[in-house]
Amino acid sequence: MKRKIKDDFNIMAMLLIPVGVAINIVGFQIASVLKLPIFLDTIGTILIGVIAGPWVAVLAGLVTNLINGIFNPVWFPYAIVSIAIGFVTGLLTRKGMFQNIPKALISAVIITFITIITSAPITVLVYGGATGNTSALITATFLAAGQQIWSAVFSSTIITEVGDKIISVMIVYFIVRLMSDRYLSKLNYGHLYMKRKK
Amino acid sequence: MLQHNWILSLHPLTKFYFSLSITISVFIVSSYWYAMAMFGICLILALWAGVQKAFLQNVLLALGFLLIVLFLMQAFFYPGNQVIWKLGFLSMKAEGIHYGLIMATRILAIGSAFILFFKITAVRDFVKALEDIGLPPMGAYVVLSTLQIIPEMRKQSRVIMDAQRARGVETEGNVWVRAKAFIPILTPLILSSIASTEERAITLESRAFLTKNKKTSLYKLSKGPLDHVLPIAFVVILVGLLIGRVLG
Repeated sequence: MKRKIKDDFNIMAMLLIPVGVAINIVGFQIASVLKLPIFLDTIGTILIGVIAGPWVAVLAGLVTNLINGIFNPVWFPYAIVSIAIGFVTGLLTRKGMFQNIPKALISAVIITFITIITSAPITVLVYGGATGNTSALITATFLAAGQQIWSAVFSSTIITEVGDKIISVMIVYFIVRLMSDRYLSKLNYGHLYMKRKK
Repeated sequence: MLQHNWILSLHPLTKFYFSLSITISVFIVSSYWYAMAMFGICLILALWAGVQKAFLQNVLLALGFLLIVLFLMQAFFYPGNQVIWKLGFLSMKAEGIHYGLIMATRILAIGSAFILFFKITAVRDFVKALEDIGLPPMGAYVVLSTLQIIPEMRKQSRVIMDAQRARGVETEGNVWVRAKAFIPILTPLILSSIASTEERAITLESRAFLTKNKKTSLYKLSKGPLDHVLPIAFVVILVGLLIGRVLG
């Protein structure tokens, strides 16, 4: 069955976007209240990608960065990263890649890879390798150890993103498991995760 | 909003074009004095509009640490050989200082232009202006309801955190203990807020939000004479800068 872009945007999917964006932002805040060393700021985007498809998740990622950008414009260029994460998650869900734990782990690795190859170039080209958080200190350590700017930024991005994205995907996996069949049946991609198969 | 202040009463798109022009111009003129001057202009406009305190606070919070780290990183690690100052095995180079200054002031100018924009423009007005030039009403709804949901969910997350603490979930201690607390806080938050989308869908449908007919709006934005002149002035200035760059 070939899906058109428009098919993904039913009213339920559109109303999920504000919730997903809020999950991204509030999740990040909970992580910082608990003083966790990772960001966990893409849980909402990944969740929407899994249950509502790539196009809705692309919009959710874009809106997240626009809203964060209102308070901190440094976020604007990273919209590309959020969009890529949303899109790839949506494509993976179409292939049924979130249906069991091993598949979800493979998806997490793919999402991590996409995050690294989209965010590291922005960090280097736009901010000269610096970011407003602790990963800048890791980058500086690599630079001081004699690495070039590109490899230093790639190494520090890998260190900060691997754990972040794998944990985010696993959290999304378990949350989708907890959703009721009645709710999943109203979503475009919900049938993939319903417990009672037709 | 205060109507007697002419900056605040400009059309949202005019203010947006201003921020956009600053962004483009700092790429045309690659001098840190120019970029610093653009920050100065933003500061003066913020003073004029009476938002200087919030403006400076936001600039400092959002950009302060980033700009310092960015400058130091370039100063120490940018390839060059005119060593100015040495600290152990690290050396500060003239080329790095120059490049770092250009990069840092450019980000300062762009960042402060957008911070200024959101300090003198209500998001509601901006979204309405976008809707007037073709953003679908659903898009406007998504942005505005997101802004409402965030504080609501933040409040709820605190309630859930307290409730889970009361049942004995530890939220303080070593990293592992704190990480384990994340799941019992986040899961109920997500599940409850996702469940509420269904009710919202029914509400919107019952109010004919999804009809294809043209909708009337009680809220209207108007354009003054300045809103017609300023965008043209911005374009003229940008073209002037570009010609200056090519000839200079």
